[in-house]
Amino acid sequence: MTSAITLNDYLIVSGLLFALGIAGVIIRRNALVIYMALEMNLNAANLALIAFSKFNKLVEGQILVFFVIAIAAAEVAVGLAIIVALYRRKQTISVDQLTTMRL
Amino acid sequence: MTPVPYFDVLKGLGAEVILTLTALVALTLDLASVRRAEMSVRSRTIGTTAVVGLLASTLPLWQQLNGPRMVLLGGTLAMDDLIIFFKLVIVALAVITVLISMDFDVGRHVGEYYAVLLFGAVGMMLLISAEELITIFVALELTSVSLYILTAFHKGELRSQEAAVKYFMFGAISSAFLLFGLSYVFGVTGATGLQAIQDAVKNTGGLAMSPLLATGLLFTIVGFGFKVAVVPFHLWAPDAYEGAPTPVTAYIATGSKVASFFILLKVLFIGFAGLQGSAFWGNFASGWTMLLAVTATLSMILGNCAAIVQHNVKRLLAYSSIAQAGYIFIGLVAATKMGANSVLFYIIVYALANLGAFGVVAALSSRAGGDEMQNFDGMARRAPFLSLLMLIFVLSLAGIPPLGGFFGKFYLFASAVQRDAQHFGLLWLVILGIVMSAVSLYYYLILLKHIYVIDGSDQSPIITPTYLNVALGLVALAVVALGVYPKPILELLNNFSYSVIAGLVR
Amino acid sequence: MNHLIYLYGTDWGMGQFPICSVWMILFTPLVAAALITLLTGRQKGLSAALSIGAILISFALSLRLFLLFALKGIQHHPHPIQWLVVGNTVRINFGMTTDALALLMLLVVTGVGSAIHIYSLGYMKGDPGFSRFFACMSLFTFSMLGIVISSNFIQIFIFWELVGVSSYLLIGYWFERPSAADAGNKAFLTTRIGDVGMMLGILLLWSHAHTFEFTELKAKLPTLGLPVGTLALIGALIFAGAVGKSAQVPLHVWLPDAMEGPTPVSALIHAATMVAAGVYMLCRISWLILPSQTALWLIAWIGAITALMAATIAIAQNDIKRILAYSTLSQLGYMVMAVGLGGPTQAMFHLTTHAFFKALLFLGAGSVIIALHHEQDIWKMGGLWKKTPITFWTFLIGTLALAGVPPLSGFYSKDEILLLAIERNPMLFVMAVATAFLTAYYMGREVFVVFFGKPRDYHAYDHAQESPWVMTLPLIFLAALSIVAGWYSKVPDFLGPPHEAQRHSSLLTGGLILVPLFGFLVAAKIYWKAEPSDAPVKVALGNLWTLVENKYYFDELYHWIIQYVQGTIAIVCDVFDRWILQRLGIGGLSVGTGLLGRTVRLLQTGSISGYAFLIGLGVTVIIYYAVVR
Repeated sequence: MTSAITLNDYLIVSGLLFALGIAGVIIRRNALVIYMALEMNLNAANLALIAFSKFNKLVEGQILVFFVIAIAAAEVAVGLAIIVALYRRKQTISVDQLTTMRL
Repeated sequence: MTPVPYFDVLKGLGAEVILTLTALVALTLDLASVRRAEMSVRSRTIGTTAVVGLLASTLPLWQQLNGPRMVLLGGTLAMDDLIIFFKLVIVALAVITVLISMDFDVGRHVGEYYAVLLFGAVGMMLLISAEELITIFVALELTSVSLYILTAFHKGELRSQEAAVKYFMFGAISSAFLLFGLSYVFGVTGATGLQAIQDAVKNTGGLAMSPLLATGLLFTIVGFGFKVAVVPFHLWAPDAYEGAPTPVTAYIATGSKVASFFILLKVLFIGFAGLQGSAFWGNFASGWTMLLAVTATLSMILGNCAAIVQHNVKRLLAYSSIAQAGYIFIGLVAATKMGANSVLFYIIVYALANLGAFGVVAALSSRAGGDEMQNFDGMARRAPFLSLLMLIFVLSLAGIPPLGGFFGKFYLFASAVQRDAQHFGLLWLVILGIVMSAVSLYYYLILLKHIYVIDGSDQSPIITPTYLNVALGLVALAVVALGVYPKPILELLNNFSYSVIAGLVR
Repeated sequence: MNHLIYLYGTDWGMGQFPICSVWMILFTPLVAAALITLLTGRQKGLSAALSIGAILISFALSLRLFLLFALKGIQHHPHPIQWLVVGNTVRINFGMTTDALALLMLLVVTGVGSAIHIYSLGYMKGDPGFSRFFACMSLFTFSMLGIVISSNFIQIFIFWELVGVSSYLLIGYWFERPSAADAGNKAFLTTRIGDVGMMLGILLLWSHAHTFEFTELKAKLPTLGLPVGTLALIGALIFAGAVGKSAQVPLHVWLPDAMEGPTPVSALIHAATMVAAGVYMLCRISWLILPSQTALWLIAWIGAITALMAATIAIAQNDIKRILAYSTLSQLGYMVMAVGLGGPTQAMFHLTTHAFFKALLFLGAGSVIIALHHEQDIWKMGGLWKKTPITFWTFLIGTLALAGVPPLSGFYSKDEILLLAIERNPMLFVMAVATAFLTAYYMGREVFVVFFGKPRDYHAYDHAQESPWVMTLPLIFLAALSIVAGWYSKVPDFLGPPHEAQRHSSLLTGGLILVPLFGFLVAAKIYWKAEPSDAPVKVALGNLWTLVENKYYFDELYHWIIQYVQGTIAIVCDVFDRWILQRLGIGGLSVGTGLLGRTVRLLQTGSISGYAFLIGLGVTVIIYYAVVR
């Protein structure tokens, strides 16, 4: 019984992370926390990519991860700005309150 | 290792380079010289700069037209006639969007607005030439992030902020899904180029043999499903469309849709060519055609039904867009060359009609005090010309001949009927599509009734700027022309000897 | 210069004739419509002249083609223009059909159309939207002619919808009346329901035959070996288009409402031409229907039911135009039934004569309406025959022709259909005869109430006067045609092999003459008095009267369905929005996960167990999918 870490182990952790992220998005009401959960989703994908890269001996996955990190940073800038703008107007960032537009 | 041919890259991406420079010029110009000027002057100046830049960006495109197929940076970006043609479409849509915006109050940050709009166009154009997962993801994010910013541009209006938050959150979720899916696809196939993925997929033995690949495919489609707003991934669309400044709504509903559908077509038809499965009635097999058939069904039903009960014009058009995405999926489900052509044709027609409709809404709502249905009461007498254009756009969306929408829908349905004709394989989807497009006429007529029949309290005529009238008039002309004489465009699409089709069975 | 010669033709004699004649017939009205819209919108006289001139040109050219064909047997097959080709399978032409069927229909459309255009000059006088009206009329004429000359399914469908659009514009012409606009919407939507079937049928046929061309399909059909069921399905689906456009049961509800439009529009669109398009299309594709017994059976029964039902409704209507509208429904049912009985020739014959006398009746009704300053209730008329003699006499001719009194045209065409019916299906024959009786009865009622008896509204009566010559002249023209159109007994033959009915059965024919006479007698007995009323009939029919007066409650039924459906949709959408969007905020990913999340939220107040539950579930799914399998 060897205890070497296999590709599947990485994938399971990545799957867990992804599920956790989705759970956070669904359950939490605070826009910031939701946004953090979303970042977790991206990192789940990153983990999977690196794992695949390592085990398949390919470099593209790692390159993609770099791009993803850069993009995530850009998204943070935009996303936080949007959330702040909302807070200024509404004094709340609970997504339950986003009900101006109705049927 | 060979050196990267930067000069070739710059040449190949001439249009994108020009647009990026124009965006920077617009920013500087606004900051440096016209910031103190009156709002309308600023808007006109910067807008004109943007239009000039967009038109200039077509020069390298014209030059590349009729050239051989060319790949850049190891196959991540490609250039051929089809791609150039669609880049031109994007430019045209962006030009009209800019013209609509010049007439619209976009807030204090005029320079930023147009710059971000141009960056969005760059993203869409890159998306169209991308043929590799990393590039696809980056281009998609460039487009999306630009659009999030644009959506929030009405800083004073709560609706705009809410819409931006929702759009942003859902966009981020969709990116996460897409990336997760792509990572699995990469893991299984060990490739990132679409063509290489296709080759590798053939060796994996299909979905049944590789659950990882199946998960990857599923998540990828879910991710794209968010981007093109099909049910059940559509929840952001009505709010984002309603809340965003109307020119931005037009941009989201047309430019980004065209680019997203184009890349979806490429990913499915090239990358996942071996995994289409079957959506034939009574003979379902897992694969992307089946997934798309299900979402198409839901989109057509829910989009059309929900549109019936809307009171806000933009929201109505949003639901109608969801339904239209459902029709487009029918062409993808057909998974033939004809299906691909019909999708490409329809997205052009759809984008033009939708852009026109939102353009008219933008021009009229700001002067009529809102974008609720009641604000459009009696509009035919206040703004007869734009009302007539609205009639054309809306009837085209409903698929009434001889407008472009009719032929586009016909072509989509024909391509689906054609597939497995002997056993009526896709007939169920076509029946649904035809029935639902008849339903759609109902709510389009409700809108026209407000414009043409019901008398409004305000009777004063509405004057719109001439350049806007001309621009929208040209769009309407194009919609009519695509219906009356679609031959040139169809032949163009058909003649592209394009690898999109290569991987398909027939 | 050469192309000009080509365009207008070098030889206007009887020899070769330029193909472009057909083109000119089709496009002259379109050019007129475009010119009016773009240039002459403000000059009313010029607009009208353009529109009328255009249709007269079309009429003259059609007449010439018709005569060339009928007298000298010269037929031309203009080359189609390739409209578009996509791959090997989609080839769509813009073709010109100039066979006997098309020529006859061209003549009817342009002939009746000319009369109605001229009449409109008087009827629409002083209307603020005069030019717009004529532009729409020309656009409509163009679309209608397009249907007639179409040589393939796509072309006919496109013009079919164009006709729908232009009639939508014309019905909704009187914007000031919301009811007119509603009627326009209703007409557009209802006919669209039929078009859904038609489009589907076309696509189905194409998916097997790979062509849209009528001639190619006709030749190919027997070789395709289609199963009987498929053939019947295709026939029935395409027939659905005709059901919508020709206002057959159950899609008939739009036609009476469409009478909200101006009267010339009713005459042109809802009597003579557009509603006949369905019948024309059925005749055009009779090769597709005739091989399928099921399709024929369906068509015949729908036609017969429509004919009888509309006739019964007509006996209880009070609006001068609505009575005529239901009568149109009824006669269209006759034609459709004839097609279903395997007699497209007879159907076309009746279509032709009907176009003349029904247009005449509508225009006559319009003349009465104008004389009484837009009064349409027959119970406010009366005694008008002295005041408006030309209108009265022409209206009477139209009535007799419609009822089928010899030697007027209606008698011959109806006779043909009845003979066909008794030969093929006695049950339908009985229904048809009942319809014929009712037709005479309700038309008698209308004539007696409107033109005889004492005037009931003296003020209106005193001011009533005969219409100007631009209106009476078309009446006289159409009256003459209504009389003679049936005499040229070669008309049915000319359309194809005559059907083998026992023309010698003069006994039957004699019996059939009595039917309308009997109907008139009954009507005279009840309504030919100084102060007629419906009271005796009401008493005699009891509840039946209420039923027909309310048009069998079709409108109420449909209204209820729409309300119900729309209400349900609203509730569903609301629930969807509220539950998924509001409760779950922006986080609602999809129906499945959304509901799941909601359940979780309901289960607990602190979030730990919710997380655990969801994570456990998610992980299980992913692990199962990705690794274990």
